[in-house]
Amino acid sequence: MQLSFAVLGILIAACIAGSVMPQGVTLAAYMELYGEKTGRMLFDLGFDHLFTCPWFVFLTALLCFNLIFCSVSRLPALIRAAAARKEKAGYLSLGMFGSWITHVGILMMIISFACGQVFSTEYEIYGIAGSSQPIGDTGLVLSIDSFDVLMREDFTVDQYVAGVTVSDADGRSESGTSSVNHPFSAFGYKIYQDSTGWAAFVDILKGEEVQREDLLCAGEYTWPDEMPGLVFLLNKVYPDLAVDSNGAYISATPLLNNPHFLYSIYYGGRVIDMNMAEFGSPVGVADYHFIARDPCEYTLLVIKHDPSEIFVLISALIIVAGLFIAFYIKPMEERRGKSGTN
Amino acid sequence: MENLERISFTVALAAYFLSTLMYLAFAATGNRRTAKIGRFCVAAGFVLHFICIVSRGIAAGRLPLTNQYEFASAFAWGIALCFLIFTGIYQFDILGSFIAPVIFLVIGYASMQSKEIHALMPALQSGWLGFHVCMAIISYGAFGVAFGVSGAYLYRDHSEKCGRAQNGRIPELDVLDNIIYRAVALGFLFLTLCMITGAIWANRAWGSYWSWDPKETWSLITWIIYAIYLHLRLNKGMNGRKSAFFALIGFISVLFTYIGVNTLLSGLHSYK
Repeated sequence: MQLSFAVLGILIAACIAGSVMPQGVTLAAYMELYGEKTGRMLFDLGFDHLFTCPWFVFLTALLCFNLIFCSVSRLPALIRAAAARKEKAGYLSLGMFGSWITHVGILMMIISFACGQVFSTEYEIYGIAGSSQPIGDTGLVLSIDSFDVLMREDFTVDQYVAGVTVSDADGRSESGTSSVNHPFSAFGYKIYQDSTGWAAFVDILKGEEVQREDLLCAGEYTWPDEMPGLVFLLNKVYPDLAVDSNGAYISATPLLNNPHFLYSIYYGGRVIDMNMAEFGSPVGVADYHFIARDPCEYTLLVIKHDPSEIFVLISALIIVAGLFIAFYIKPMEERRGKSGTN
Repeated sequence: MENLERISFTVALAAYFLSTLMYLAFAATGNRRTAKIGRFCVAAGFVLHFICIVSRGIAAGRLPLTNQYEFASAFAWGIALCFLIFTGIYQFDILGSFIAPVIFLVIGYASMQSKEIHALMPALQSGWLGFHVCMAIISYGAFGVAFGVSGAYLYRDHSEKCGRAQNGRIPELDVLDNIIYRAVALGFLFLTLCMITGAIWANRAWGSYWSWDPKETWSLITWIIYAIYLHLRLNKGMNGRKSAFFALIGFISVLFTYIGVNTLLSGLHSYK
């Protein structure tokens, strides 16, 4: 038990650190935040991905082994004590097993969670209505039939709804809608509506000739095949461009009333142009031009299969049952015992 | 409906304030009449507070449990509920002297938050919201009671050590210790349910039942602190000052989970 408390103490300290220190960032960010030496040391120790770093996983595994050892070693004594009590009081004392059941539930939950991390599969697909993409190596194809952002009168978002069809290689398909809190299930996978943003088609022209057409989401870039050093970055889309009281560009509404986009053009790694432009107007240098057009909202869908889900749920129910028995069945029996002796 | 909410909130706030004064007067003078008035004020505040929450729910057209103001208000209501249950069971007026100020402080915090009604973002539009937050309210309420009783415990313990004569208003230490345990056990069970319902909901909304979001992480920290307390008490027979200190530390963690995480750390639960 001493070991358990020591491990739990370290896990608490680690959790506090993990909640305060930025996760999933670069070494440069850590060095900027904590200084060169400390930042590098923390980064090397895995504080940038604390909850999945080896020593955190090791501590959790140690806690698991401790739970297994405690659960196994306590069981015979517990059974003997319960049998003795049954003989004495005439009934089986379930309350005595509450704590043990809780421990088993916790153990099951940690193991189920760990299995979920290992065996679950997850894919991300983003696209606009009418697009289709294969779902990783599953042999399935996801088609986004429609995507609607349902808004209230004040332009706050009520719901994001994606109409999707999943097809397999045999030609079977399942269709439905996926919205936040209402994932769509097909072929054993769950499809979650994760996030959204603006996208636009970008034509790459050399002279008057259209060389290629790309669909770019805000933050993505493209370049002409013949000149990879020339890069067009679609920084941000403003569907209804306006200027606020501080002189900053904003989008007055999410409606396509006055669509503009902020772009950057790089050449040889250097910014050579950065400006706001209206959709449909060409921007570029020398012979090369980029025309952004047809802004639309894309959807990011997460496709997931987690075989551990059901075990995590069962573990949770076991924990709750164990706690209830430990806290409320045992005292009731004790009270019954007391009143019986009076 | 908004007027009813505003008026009932203000009167409930006043009732809790009055109850705090009455209970403090009882602690100072031992006049049972002030304790009776204090308990009446908590009960009246509790009813008015309930009216306030219901009227806000009707005005908003949803469960009023989604932003800082709404949850702080419900948190104070949860402590009042647990306080009334525990005083009903144990019949110790002095508990009010330690718990009524906590209720008043929490609702006072709520009164400083923005009371604007906003429509729910898509992730919050779920039937799990009610279950999840109600579990949190009862859990935090019970931990609030444990915190108040721990204060009573430490006060009496300190008085005894200083050799001051006990006037009988504060119950025996072992009785207080038992109340702390009962409150923590109730809070722990509901905190577990809160985390489980939250995980199920998160899995529906984001496809992940645990994301190490700061709120989740701090809930886990709180859960571990109280788990250690229960372990030490049930298996190692820990009681007394250590037990009371654990309940205090646990409640500080509860407060950070609620207020600190929402204001200092950003994450999936940052609904201000």
